[in-house]
Amino acid sequence: MTSVIKKVSLNLKRVCFKRGTRTILDNVEFSVSQGELVLMTGQNGSGKSTLLKITAGLLKPQQAQVSFVPHDGQQGSYSWPRLKKLLLRKVCYLHQHPYLFHGTVYDNVAYGLKRQKMSKQEIEQRVVQALQEYSLESLIHRDCYELSGGEKQRVAIVRSWITRPDIILLDEPFSNMDKESRKKSYALIKQMCQQDIAIVLTSHDPLIGELSFDQHVHLYQGKMTHKLV
Amino acid sequence: MNDLTDASIQALQLLLSGDAEVWNIISVSFTVSLKAILIATVPAIAVSFVLAYYAFPGRRFVITLFNTALAIPAVVVGLTLYLLLSRSGPFGDLHLLFTQEAMIIGQIILAFPLLVAMSHASLQSSDQRAWETAITLGASAFMAAVTVIREVRFGLMAAVIAAFGRIIAEVGSSMMVGGNIFNHTRNIPTAIALETSKGSFVEGIALGMVLLTLALLLNFFLTAIQGKAEVIHQ
Repeated sequence: MTSVIKKVSLNLKRVCFKRGTRTILDNVEFSVSQGELVLMTGQNGSGKSTLLKITAGLLKPQQAQVSFVPHDGQQGSYSWPRLKKLLLRKVCYLHQHPYLFHGTVYDNVAYGLKRQKMSKQEIEQRVVQALQEYSLESLIHRDCYELSGGEKQRVAIVRSWITRPDIILLDEPFSNMDKESRKKSYALIKQMCQQDIAIVLTSHDPLIGELSFDQHVHLYQGKMTHKLV
Repeated sequence: MNDLTDASIQALQLLLSGDAEVWNIISVSFTVSLKAILIATVPAIAVSFVLAYYAFPGRRFVITLFNTALAIPAVVVGLTLYLLLSRSGPFGDLHLLFTQEAMIIGQIILAFPLLVAMSHASLQSSDQRAWETAITLGASAFMAAVTVIREVRFGLMAAVIAAFGRIIAEVGSSMMVGGNIFNHTRNIPTAIALETSKGSFVEGIALGMVLLTLALLLNFFLTAIQGKAEVIHQ
């Protein structure tokens, strides 16, 4: 029996992930709701990226109880293949060093929209508008290999945002950015939360205090602790 | 040395004169090899993608088999095909022996392992993030695969060119299953072998020039696309 619930929520319980004999995540519990901004901290190798990739449906955990209610979906318990499909459709993951496809900034930002089978005109309109909002319109016809690290990161964030997923997972999104780019990114992240997109980000950035988080979770040797914000 | 120079000049004159016999041989060569490479490329890239991106039991064994198949001499492929297609063979009823179709099958068998091995090497070294990014942006598994293939297209083009270079110059398989029939299955390598055995070097050199020119053009193209790839990866 399923019931329609509008509010997005993703709950992960008892998540365990091992690589060979090494335990990466040990009984981790984690949840995120519509429009929430979640900070995930932890040392290198603490399992942050692994947890984000599981949340995005890119990695299959050895054990996990996952319940997910997408914006337009139904609550229910799903088998992993179905859940994976749903997560891949509704959750967007951005690598620490984002990958930009060969081609221009336009090609990259339009990539996700093309998969949504929009008309060429609509895609063009939305890409231009999104790049303008993020002050990246001057880069629209630039080849991606010409961009700086910070510009690549900002283009990748816009590329994720434009597909309007329910949740965006940002792995160290500010690592290649200067102060100015970070401020622009903070503004975009706040805007995304206002648009009811949930954001989970990992960061070592001391300036991150400029963002007000709804949750702060900390991973230490594969175990999670929740901190007050 | 003078004989070689004279023969080369005569060969060039023969080519430029538009000699119907020579150009027919060139046409057979290109028709057969282009068809073979066109048929082999898509399935070979699909196989190499599966080998690079999916884990399944026996994967390493399959990779080893393809790598081993690189060393199979063309004449062994020709001999095996001959036995299969000859009248007393299991596929004798198809009447394919001494036809261009038989030559195409032989060249596909020769090109396939090379295409798989080289494409697999390119895809194996491709960035895992390309696949993950495509998938997480809403691409289906098929579209994500197409995206990854597009990202490594320079490596795949090199594989196609190398495979085409191999099959257009092979003589063993084409000779055995094609039969070197004039106006039908005589291609550049089999014609060179025949003309040389008859002591008629001019036509052999003319056809050799075509193969060398082709090799030169393919390598210019390969260098040009690799040069472009270097710029992109800066």
